[in-house]
Amino acid sequence: MTSSEQAELIVFIILAPLAVVTALGMVLTRNAVYSALLLVVNFFCLAGFYVLLEAQFVAAVQVIVYAGAIMVLFLFVLMLLGIGNEVVVKEQMRGQRPAAVLLALGLLVAIVGALAAGVFDAEPASLAAANEGGNVEAIGRILFTRYTFAFETAGILLVVAAVGALVLGKRQP
Amino acid sequence: MAIDFHAILPELVLAGTALLVLVVDLFVERAKVVASWLSIAGTVVAGVALASLVGGGTRSTFGGSFVVDNYALLFKGLFLGSLLLVLLMSQRYINAGTAYQGEFYFLVLSSFVGMLLMPSSRDLLMLFLSLEIVSATGFIAAGFRKSDARGNEGALKFLLIGVLSTAVMLFGMSLVYGFTGSLQLGIIAERLAQLGDEPAAVMAVFLVITGFAFKVSAAPFHFWAPDTYEGSPVPVAAYLSVASKAAGFAGLLQVTFVAFPSYARYWAPAFAVLAAITMLLGNVIALAQTNIVRLLAYSSVAQAGYMLVPFAAGSSADPAVREEAFQAVLVYLLIYAFTNLGAFAVVTLVSQRQPSNLITDYAGLARRSPALGMAMTAFLFSLAGIPPAAGWYAKFVIFKSAINGDTLTLQLLVVFMAVMTVVALFYYAGVARSLWLGTPPEGAPELAAPRVSPALGTAIALSAAGVLVLGVLPNLLVQYAPVSTLVAGP
Repeated sequence: MTSSEQAELIVFIILAPLAVVTALGMVLTRNAVYSALLLVVNFFCLAGFYVLLEAQFVAAVQVIVYAGAIMVLFLFVLMLLGIGNEVVVKEQMRGQRPAAVLLALGLLVAIVGALAAGVFDAEPASLAAANEGGNVEAIGRILFTRYTFAFETAGILLVVAAVGALVLGKRQP
Repeated sequence: MAIDFHAILPELVLAGTALLVLVVDLFVERAKVVASWLSIAGTVVAGVALASLVGGGTRSTFGGSFVVDNYALLFKGLFLGSLLLVLLMSQRYINAGTAYQGEFYFLVLSSFVGMLLMPSSRDLLMLFLSLEIVSATGFIAAGFRKSDARGNEGALKFLLIGVLSTAVMLFGMSLVYGFTGSLQLGIIAERLAQLGDEPAAVMAVFLVITGFAFKVSAAPFHFWAPDTYEGSPVPVAAYLSVASKAAGFAGLLQVTFVAFPSYARYWAPAFAVLAAITMLLGNVIALAQTNIVRLLAYSSVAQAGYMLVPFAAGSSADPAVREEAFQAVLVYLLIYAFTNLGAFAVVTLVSQRQPSNLITDYAGLARRSPALGMAMTAFLFSLAGIPPAAGWYAKFVIFKSAINGDTLTLQLLVVFMAVMTVVALFYYAGVARSLWLGTPPEGAPELAAPRVSPALGTAIALSAAGVLVLGVLPNLLVQYAPVSTLVAGP
């Protein structure tokens, strides 16, 4: 094991339990603001995993978009709705919990089976070539050459969404 | 990498117009109608840009993800024509009803940018983005009557079902990408053919098709359509029922015939079932409607059923049969677009005086305004498929393509479609009969020519002319034969 692999392992050992604990805490805590804050910590742990996987761009986006923008939005909504008044959620669908447990077990079996069958052993064929010159550069290059048009089209979609939010959200004059 | 700006010129013009309308509307205080005229002007310029591409051969840019060929040009022409009609229809209706005129025209124009992109998109990413632009603008436009509870309900249903269908389709697309390693439709077709019968890949193909089935409101994914159309402003209902449906079919034709031809033996029978259910539900439920918009909504579901019939011939071994099926869908869409837009234009006009949109409001319409009565009759006859209105030719090409397919499924489907056409005649002819023979309701307002707004009158006249000319001279459409270059082997 090289020293960089050792370092990766140490970072993973620190981050992985933290990610599990914050995820559980987010679901189990009664206070919605605590939930939101725990989710932020969880997002940072995920960003750490992405760095370990050498996906620096996704890590940065994870922090900026999820931990930054989306969580601020969550907190805004929580503050606007008023905190403190605990909402007692009644389960509408019967048999939800056993079904969830069964499905989770099924997923576990599928993942373990895939690992045992060696599905993930093969190195992705073109990843090294695609990442040549660095992950961020590679994404930038492909985004502004091959996918320029899709990128710009997504811009139209976002403008439409912004205008729509304005039209539907603004009070009728 | 050089970008072929000429190829994307119509889209650029339309997107530029949309942004211009949004900005100009900010600075114009009173004469809000300027937004409408700007949009119309932008549409005409985009039409000129499109015309400059005709006859220039196939252009491909952005690494082949955006292609302008005859197929794309035909659809783009259809969409720009529809846009013009929708803008003409909206003018007075929207001016009277809302403070957000600039935003309304921005949304309609953006929606049509998405539609223009659709037939040129030759990779899954662009297909998805253009479909999303069409859907997102649709959700917002459907909720434009904010103070109307039914409008809110319709828009919300549309949004929830639209988001669900998008999720299903995206999941399918991600699986397709996983199996083929490519987003480009042509490469996907090759790799799927090499892959052979992989059950998970078949599932992925079905997920993508299901997503599109929602968009074209095929049964059993149709139930949002009547509520949404009823709650929307009438011009919005018109464009949802025509243009966004056509965009869905443009995408569906591309994924089925171009990307997934090697799995045709799986999806073609599924389309046969889908077409039969859609025709049955649409036509039978339409019989019971008392509201004209809901009637047209169920009729549009039934029409989607007819258009799905040729897909069932997609598994044929004979390339000529597949080409014919592909073209039948195109021809039907073109004729349906003009017919339905015209019918909705008449509804827009009547609903300005009688907002309840009941079928009984239309009793004796022809006596109050013979020209309007004739136009509406022409549209209804065209939807029903009675000559000389253009609808007969649309039905004829569908029948022909299905009969030439020459399998038992297709023959049964043709018989079923014939029965359904007769059922449809009941409700179309019922409205037409009451137009001419019914007594006008008490205190029915005048609908004489001078009071009809020029823009709306032009829209009705244009679509009526289109319906009658194409009905008498259907050969005008046949020259678009080369569109079939898209159809690959199974």
